[in-house]
Amino acid sequence: MKKKLLSVLLAAAMVFGISFYAAAEEGVTDTEIHIGQWGPQTGPAAAWGSVARGTDAYFKMINDEGGINGRKLVLHMFDDGYNPAKTMAGVKELQEGKGMFAWVSGVGTATGLAVKEYLMEKKIPWVGPASGSQVWTNPPSKYLFADYPLYYIEAKALCNYGATKLGKKKFAMIYQNDDYGKNGLAGAQEELGKLGLKLVEAVPVEVTDTDLKPHVMKLKQSEADVVLLWVTPSHAVRTIGTGAAMQFAPQWMSTSTCSDFPFMNTISKGLWTNVIAASFGEVPDSPNPLMQKYKKAHEKYAAKEERWGVFFYAGFGFVEPAVEALKRCGKDVTRERFVKEMEGLKNFKGILGKVNFKPFNEKDPSSRQGTNEVFLVQCTETSGYKMLTDWTKYE
Amino acid sequence: MDMKRDYYEDVKLFTSGVGFFWFLVLMVFLAAYPFLVKNYYVYVANYIAINIIVVIGLNILVGYTGQISLGHAGFFAIGAYGTLILMTKLSFPFLLALPVSALIASVFGFLLGLPALRLEGPYLSIATLGFGLTITRVIGKIEFFGGRQGLHAPELVIGPWHLNTDRDFYYLLMVITVLMTVGARNLIKTRVGRAFVAIRDADIAAETMGVNLVFYKTLAFAVSAFYTGIAGGLFAFVLRFIEPELFSLFMSIMFLAMVVVGGLGSIMGSIAGACLLGWLDLQLRNILSLPYIGSWLESLSKSYFSLTGVSNIQFILFGLIMVLIMLFEPLGIFGIWIRTKKYWKTWPF
Repeated sequence: MKKKLLSVLLAAAMVFGISFYAAAEEGVTDTEIHIGQWGPQTGPAAAWGSVARGTDAYFKMINDEGGINGRKLVLHMFDDGYNPAKTMAGVKELQEGKGMFAWVSGVGTATGLAVKEYLMEKKIPWVGPASGSQVWTNPPSKYLFADYPLYYIEAKALCNYGATKLGKKKFAMIYQNDDYGKNGLAGAQEELGKLGLKLVEAVPVEVTDTDLKPHVMKLKQSEADVVLLWVTPSHAVRTIGTGAAMQFAPQWMSTSTCSDFPFMNTISKGLWTNVIAASFGEVPDSPNPLMQKYKKAHEKYAAKEERWGVFFYAGFGFVEPAVEALKRCGKDVTRERFVKEMEGLKNFKGILGKVNFKPFNEKDPSSRQGTNEVFLVQCTETSGYKMLTDWTKYE
Repeated sequence: MDMKRDYYEDVKLFTSGVGFFWFLVLMVFLAAYPFLVKNYYVYVANYIAINIIVVIGLNILVGYTGQISLGHAGFFAIGAYGTLILMTKLSFPFLLALPVSALIASVFGFLLGLPALRLEGPYLSIATLGFGLTITRVIGKIEFFGGRQGLHAPELVIGPWHLNTDRDFYYLLMVITVLMTVGARNLIKTRVGRAFVAIRDADIAAETMGVNLVFYKTLAFAVSAFYTGIAGGLFAFVLRFIEPELFSLFMSIMFLAMVVVGGLGSIMGSIAGACLLGWLDLQLRNILSLPYIGSWLESLSKSYFSLTGVSNIQFILFGLIMVLIMLFEPLGIFGIWIRTKKYWKTWPF
């Protein structure tokens, strides 16, 4: 009986201990703010791991400038190999072992979905998941701030440009048969509907499909003059290649996931020239002063093999709003204050589109979806970026 | 060394008081474990316990019956999806949904066992591989199963208990793991188990002796799938989120690697293999934060094995450990255990 009482008391003491521990602000000391991030450095999505390395360079730059109100940013980045079970393990280990103040970016929809509930239950802020999925803000969560424009918005921008500026009438789409592809499909259908048009063909493709001839044949038979590519980079290249072999050459348009033109033009052996893509961040050779500054940080802090590509500096862009909110917190860095400062961001301009958040409203996704702006670019023969539009906002 | 005088001595759970004592010690340790470590390590223990159940199930098929499967991620997926769907869409209680979905998995196991009657070795592995890949494709296509978006686990309530932290779930999981382990041991020691072993050693000879090949081969698949289905259903609550891509070919291969590294045809080996590889899989990345050796490994990895200047030494080490174990101890970790036991038996002479 005594032992039972003892163990009950012990358990109670531990529970109190833990809850007390969480009440004191975790991950913030007088000199440091601890921030966590995951990103695949190995496995099927390793190419997107550069986002995490970008954030690393960004934090090094900030620390060398003196940090944020006297505190240095400490990034705890780990490789999850794009495996949700490992993402969960890494997040728990860092959160419960070292105590993160907040989490930033984090590549992947499935990996993020695995830890979303855990972070939200613990009321830990998470800013800028590196995927344009609607799952982050629909429904919105108080501690999750998304600043990647939705794939849905990108589809609208592309269709609008194709119809109004290029005067095209026949749009078709090849889309990945998942959340990513269907988001794009919904956006295209809605925008074309508004313009009194509709998709003449929409062909779903599976991630694991290797032969795209039947898909492209369908697109060709539809006689489309614009085809939207809502697929992975390798499928996009294969679609265009198969199209070229079939002498089917519409205006190709693609999402921001394929907006790394030098990369796309290399793997497609030049076929990517003239493709129009949506872009969520400034172009690599942009004269924007912030971009110039970040480029210097890239030269200084990144490994010498690291390319100055879209997904590297996206690691800066997704995290900028979080850094700005931390600055606005002043000395008083607590999670509640941080969330309040995030909500206070109005027309904040970094290298992404303008970022706006609103006080939390569980019925309003836009209270947590920070950006609705994209612009369109076209790939030149030298894999450069030709600006077609300025930043444009879509609802 | 262990002479058996009658049948009941052979099927006894504990052969000696010493064995029973260590079993009790283990149980006490397992019960106290969540209070001794940080919550993260409870998650790791849960992850490993899931692997133990799968590997025991797979070992019944691979180690004891001599069939091969590269499709166990498929059964795992059926267990996970079955449990969640039964609970959320048909509002089954967890304790009913779990065995029902495991039974569904074992029906698929039975069906997969049918081609196994005619196929062997590499042909069978290709057939099972196809099954594993197909299941996830089918699940991903059907909106009812959540499609590519995946599914979230509902709150877990059993009677008066709400099991929503890693610690709470740990106890449920350990009880099930121990039951499944004892169950497997009993199965192996009985008529069914001996039939499995006979099939593994020579299926024609087994048939001549009156072992019904059709029955026992398909039974081995069904039992194995049942174990894996149970583990899948539990896994859905460890991760609290599942999606089709999770149940990849790589997962099936990991399961098989755990069986082989642990020791074919051994329950103890299954546990050891699942513990070692499961633990390494989650923890090896921390090798870079070891004092002295960590920074050296990191620089080694960054300068020789990496394209982007990011260390990936943990994967190389992971492979290396597996190769070394198989090279020096073809019986796996279980073989090491046997040799140690023999050595100490006669110590110090």
